[in-house]
Amino acid sequence: MTEQAPLLRLENITRNFGAIEALRGVSFDIARGEVVALLGDNGAGKSTLVKIISGGLEATSGRMLFDGEEKKFNSPAEAKAAGIETVYQDLSLCTNVDVVANFFMGREIVKRYFGVPVLQEGAMYAAVEKALANAGTRIPSLRTNVEHLSGGQRQAIELNRFVHWGGKLVLLDEPFAALGVEQTRRGLDMIKRVARQGIGVVIITHIMAQAFQVADRMVVIRQGKVAGDVARDQTTPDEVIRMITGEATIGRAGEARAQA
Amino acid sequence: MISPRQRALVEFVLDNLVWFILAIVLVIFSATIPNFFQTGIFVNIIEQSTFVGVMAIGLAIVVIAGHMDLSVESVAGLTAMITGILFCARGIGMGITLTPEWLVLPVSLIIALLAGSVIGGINGWLVVRLRMNAFIVTLASYIYVRGMVDAISGGRSAQDLAPALRFIGIQTLAGIPLIAWIAVLCFAIFTFIMARTPFGRHVTMIGGNPVAAFRAGIKVDRLVLIAFILAGAIAGLAGWLLAIRTSGATANLGIGMLFRAFAAVVIGGVSLKGGIGQLPGVYAGVLLLSSIQTAMNVMALPVHYTQMILGGMVLAAVLLDTVKLQIRQKLA
Repeated sequence: MTEQAPLLRLENITRNFGAIEALRGVSFDIARGEVVALLGDNGAGKSTLVKIISGGLEATSGRMLFDGEEKKFNSPAEAKAAGIETVYQDLSLCTNVDVVANFFMGREIVKRYFGVPVLQEGAMYAAVEKALANAGTRIPSLRTNVEHLSGGQRQAIELNRFVHWGGKLVLLDEPFAALGVEQTRRGLDMIKRVARQGIGVVIITHIMAQAFQVADRMVVIRQGKVAGDVARDQTTPDEVIRMITGEATIGRAGEARAQA
Repeated sequence: MISPRQRALVEFVLDNLVWFILAIVLVIFSATIPNFFQTGIFVNIIEQSTFVGVMAIGLAIVVIAGHMDLSVESVAGLTAMITGILFCARGIGMGITLTPEWLVLPVSLIIALLAGSVIGGINGWLVVRLRMNAFIVTLASYIYVRGMVDAISGGRSAQDLAPALRFIGIQTLAGIPLIAWIAVLCFAIFTFIMARTPFGRHVTMIGGNPVAAFRAGIKVDRLVLIAFILAGAIAGLAGWLLAIRTSGATANLGIGMLFRAFAAVVIGGVSLKGGIGQLPGVYAGVLLLSSIQTAMNVMALPVHYTQMILGGMVLAAVLLDTVKLQIRQKLA
């Protein structure tokens, strides 16, 4: 854990859609091993911001430093190669193929025979088995199509896959929208486990209780700006809600307040 | 909840349902229809399955990728006509000869594959680049490509194909016509490609969830385009085989085959929703359709009955697809 550079630093990120200013200068840091909850009302600019971080959109202006270096991702693939990935509910898995195929989606192990790439199912199976065992995730059969697995198991596959492929910063968009109580609890545990490995986690959620259960910090976006950036133990759900609705603005070291 | 083993068994049956149906149908026909159970009949079934079978491979790949290709029949008609016009000696044939004579074989094949690829490429480009609906795009090419056949032939036919080509149409291997072996070989090759190569895996994933595939760095647009080009090329091959089999081409050659290829794909267990299906099942579907057709021929049923029964079978196949999806969902 180096202290000098945060995992990700956003400096004055703006984004315009025609005349509409979706983001009007967003700045904040994410440290290694930190879980940040990104909060805000619908249309506050959360998804725009997430897309910019993960390469789905380009910022109109502003700088993004990842691992201490200025980065600009022109596509999700580039962001992914650098170690940033968004896990959207049900958008990251192909449910019509098995666990192994999903784990290796787009990065299959192949061996060339006469120039023809052939899938190495055995090697891939072994790798997935090992990765899931290391993470303490249990899935009955890796040959089951993902459509037969529960929401929690799917999320476990997504997160383990991310860690396995050298991910450094994961963005989770409403990760528990479709999960039951027990599955949500396990999902939250898993996020903490992932963060303990030094991975930065951004979770976007509307549910205050979940944010307070798992996040180290709350970042509130309101009308395209950071309306609040506070450590979990220095705030309350009520206060965060007031930041979301614009009744209160509290920034770390007063930065956000000065901007607002 | 059911145990994983039971589920695996049910899945196995669902995946290979068409083979079971084929076996049962053949047993019933053999037992009940006089003169059905003989080698010649079975060879005939396999031979009949050649053209529709080859065509169905490309169609199946596109459907597995989550799209549709209605143009395969017309593409086959076009490449048959091109082969006929270039290498037939009579009718509208130009009677081109090459030296050495056997060169006509690879040259005509490459022309047919290329012509098919071009149509497939246009289909794919419209679907991928202009985001047009594949059903509409390929319905249009189904019509205009048949129009091209009429245009280049003037409605007339070409006969008397170059002997080097006709040779393939007459040869048999182990009692089965060579062209039927070509179809079997195509199924073997493309089954391998779909099941064991990254291309096949990615196409299947795209059919299941194109967004996830895209997000995983899979070049979705490129692969969909390739799938359409492949379907065109394979349909081109089917047309080439048709020309060889009939030693020429007529303007209406291949008409009606789309519908049988489509039926075979659905009967063979390829889901129209995309992402589900295996090519061996499609071949079984083609064999099943040919078996029924042959049985009706043996029983000397009038042609309009054939049409009604085949139409009913397509409905039954789509219904089966729905039922299978429901069973799978219950299993989940």
